[in-house]
Amino acid sequence: MQLDTLNLNYWAIAPELIVSLVAVVLMLMDAFSRKGGRQANAFVALIGLIAAFVAVVRLGGLAAGGYFGGMVVIDPTRLFFAAIILIVAILAVLLAGQFLGDEGLPPGEFFSLLLFATSGMLLLTAAGDLVTVFLGLEIASITTYILAGYRRYDVRANESSLKYFLLGSFSTAFMLYGMALTYGATGTTNIEGIRQAIASESINFPALLLLGAAMMLVGFGFKIASAPFHLWTPDVYEGAPTLVTGFMGTGPKVAVFAAFIRVFIGGFDVPIAGVGLQLHNGWIHAVAVISVITMTVGNIVAISQKNIKRLLAYSSIAHAGYALVGFVTGDFAPVAFYLLAYSIVSVGAFGVIQLLARAGDQKTMIDDYAGIGFEAPALTFPLAIFLLSLAGIPSTAGFIGKFYVFKSAWVTTPSLRYLVVAAVINSIISIYYYLYPIVVIFFRPLAPGFVRPRMQKATALAIILTIIGTFYLGLLPNRLLKSMEKGQPARITANQPGTK
Amino acid sequence: MKDYLPILIVFIFVLGFAVTNIVLSHVIGRRKDTRAKLMPYECGMDPVGSAHQRFSVKFYLVAMLFILFDIEAIFLLPWAVVFRSLITTLSRSFVFIEMMAFIAVLFVGYVYVWKKGLFEWTRG
Repeated sequence: MQLDTLNLNYWAIAPELIVSLVAVVLMLMDAFSRKGGRQANAFVALIGLIAAFVAVVRLGGLAAGGYFGGMVVIDPTRLFFAAIILIVAILAVLLAGQFLGDEGLPPGEFFSLLLFATSGMLLLTAAGDLVTVFLGLEIASITTYILAGYRRYDVRANESSLKYFLLGSFSTAFMLYGMALTYGATGTTNIEGIRQAIASESINFPALLLLGAAMMLVGFGFKIASAPFHLWTPDVYEGAPTLVTGFMGTGPKVAVFAAFIRVFIGGFDVPIAGVGLQLHNGWIHAVAVISVITMTVGNIVAISQKNIKRLLAYSSIAHAGYALVGFVTGDFAPVAFYLLAYSIVSVGAFGVIQLLARAGDQKTMIDDYAGIGFEAPALTFPLAIFLLSLAGIPSTAGFIGKFYVFKSAWVTTPSLRYLVVAAVINSIISIYYYLYPIVVIFFRPLAPGFVRPRMQKATALAIILTIIGTFYLGLLPNRLLKSMEKGQPARITANQPGTK
Repeated sequence: MKDYLPILIVFIFVLGFAVTNIVLSHVIGRRKDTRAKLMPYECGMDPVGSAHQRFSVKFYLVAMLFILFDIEAIFLLPWAVVFRSLITTLSRSFVFIEMMAFIAVLFVGYVYVWKKGLFEWTRG
């Protein structure tokens, strides 16, 4: 074992290091200060996340390839997904100040947990090995279990946290078993090593590999809340504090999508002959079916929802389905762009609902918002924009995201065009339930007892940023799309150490 | 089989140690039996009655902390054992600093739980 062959380079994990160190600092700040200062905590967290963002951008200057013995990789997939996660985390921190103040919750641990979760998600995007995938997944999951129950004395939050924890652990067991079987079949946990083992047809037991891949598909399916494994989502999203819902409906999901892409497109997608072809056909079709079921279930059930958080939970299920369409292209770019568009809008929407719902989530029924359209325009107009973007109305980010995914899938895989047809039909269905809250908010008589929420500066900044993001991605997406296409990875080259 | 001899010796030693201690304390020790002392030992719980009883959440915290610092030993011991052979190929400071970083992380956790008052059993 030589250091040179391991290719240790601490710059390659700089974003993860920065975020986790800042999280530790926040933890200690909380332990040593008498009464935690919300502002100070949020400020430190924000500085840390921005520094991590800079570090992610600077990762592009390092050679693509594997580091730390292939445990961590640098490639465009990682850079884009890490950037999305950090954007989500920054928005969450901006919104958190007011959330914690309104709810009267202790601030220290919140920011610390948020940053630990972020570090886990970043690690998940960087994973070049199944072990790192698992590690990142657990860091991200365990912290979000706690965040879901952050309103300690609220029964619904406790229920949400416990449900999330139990079902999450259950899915983790699936994932781990799948990893073990894959390791048994290929003799390696390195994703690139797995690909090479399949390509050279040196698989010990082909059935083990197929079973392992299937179990990992279940594990990933749970975490991204895709259809047969989505049942936890509405309850957990409804019970968790709204801001946390916005965070965990986007951040962990984006990170798991990155690992999903790494493992399945990077490792299991070797359509050459024998097992490789069998595996490729197997998972592509499984993902296609899951995708169709996911968007259909999400959209159909969302129609009958009366609670705005549940509505958005089902909408997020449907969006996971749309994003899965991008998998058949064998490229990360459509999925990444779609998730970026979805995340910005989704965090924005939950941020607005956090304010409208008031402390303790008292008002989360859609009817509670009747007629408030012109009473609190600073909140309702952004919310309307976000809902329209989720529906995929042109000139918003959601439209370009959907267009990009559907078009890529249509062009690259003619045999799976039914997927695109299903997705378009679903998008049309979804317009109904996205417009319903808008109709209630703007065209119904004012509901009694409406108190206009106060908005703090940081919250306003976050909402403005999400609106700018929505329109920027919707109107001027070319620059980002070009840089994504330029960064097309041929394959992950995890075993070839990058040159310094 | 010769390789397993040390294990057998350890086994005999452990058995002897335990038996000697019990026998010695039985023979030498002064005895003052009370009702509670004569009950079967059940980690401080009442051995008779329903097993479904509530007990303080602190037990969980203690168990969790115990596991955390137990894991530290699990990593430290092999590290100490292979340290000499590791530094033949890796640089000495690298091997040392890696483990110190690990301990530093655990130490931060220790400081945190201390400041949070987890070691003050009697308080609320």
